[in-house]
Amino acid sequence: MANTQQALGDKWKLWLDESAPRLLAYARARCNNAQEAEDLLQDSLIKLWAYQEEREHRPPDLPLAFSVMRYLGLDHGRRKGRQEKRNQKIIQFQHGEDHWLDPAMEETEEAEILRTEVESLPDKLREVLTLKIWGGLTFAEIGELLTISHNTAASRYRYALQQLQKKLKHLKTPHHG
Amino acid sequence: MDDSLKQLEAQLENLVPRAQSEQGRANCHQLLDELSGNHTGSATESTIGLSWRAAAAAAAVALSLGLGGGWFLSQDEQGPSLSGLDDSELTIAGDFYQLELESWMISGSAPGVYVAKNGQVREILQETEVTKEVVKHRESGTVITVETTDHHLIDSVKSEF
Repeated sequence: MANTQQALGDKWKLWLDESAPRLLAYARARCNNAQEAEDLLQDSLIKLWAYQEEREHRPPDLPLAFSVMRYLGLDHGRRKGRQEKRNQKIIQFQHGEDHWLDPAMEETEEAEILRTEVESLPDKLREVLTLKIWGGLTFAEIGELLTISHNTAASRYRYALQQLQKKLKHLKTPHHG
Repeated sequence: MDDSLKQLEAQLENLVPRAQSEQGRANCHQLLDELSGNHTGSATESTIGLSWRAAAAAAAVALSLGLGGGWFLSQDEQGPSLSGLDDSELTIAGDFYQLELESWMISGSAPGVYVAKNGQVREILQETEVTKEVVKHRESGTVITVETTDHHLIDSVKSEF
């Protein structure tokens, strides 16, 4: 019995080690700082564990995990006071060192710009982009998760890319005066 | 999608999401140990992640279960009183898991407007937050619903007139 429990725990740990960067990237797209994102991940684990009871506590698939995180993230957001939300909108992603995409040691200037710009995309666009690029979900899965059509998911994704492209072009163009 | 967007997509894929912190990873692993009933560490070191409400609910159930054995219960001249409850909350929380958590805000009265010492026009209002949490005891299957109400005073700069 103890061995079975240990094996189950180990299976989840393995799943978590593989999935944590993706899940955290999504959590960071919904939260205001790293600590909140890690808390959201832990809360989601408890919820997922309960969900998976009917499935012999197998580690969940990623769309379900994202779905639970989204639900808990929304709930968490609702619980915040109005003033706090206002303030956080302003300070969101302005902490220089608090990036949710890892700055690589030899990051190019373009990559650095891109990382910053992704973080400052509007919520809806950033969410779809995160789920597609780092979550590895299909547009159909994203649509199901966000309760939008897969066409809308694809449009938001394309729009996010176009916005990033526009910003990159603008930043790379030399300005005179 | 044109080539330039595809190229951008490839660039994005090269940006690596930040990994979980060591502390965060350790907390999650400990949580999974506890969820799978494979907890080997000290119970007082638990970071189960349940909110204080769940812990409080758990404590309440533990109290009722422990009445017979005098667990948590001490007697003094004024009658029964709780002792050591705070220290035990986390220990007990490990026996429960959360089934549901929802909360909603109830807007309060119309905001009051005032001028602060620095000349700022500010508004102050009260919001009420109601939280409903459902937790389940692992062994007995007992389901407990805890509903709490918190009042928040929101004081902010008035931006619309």
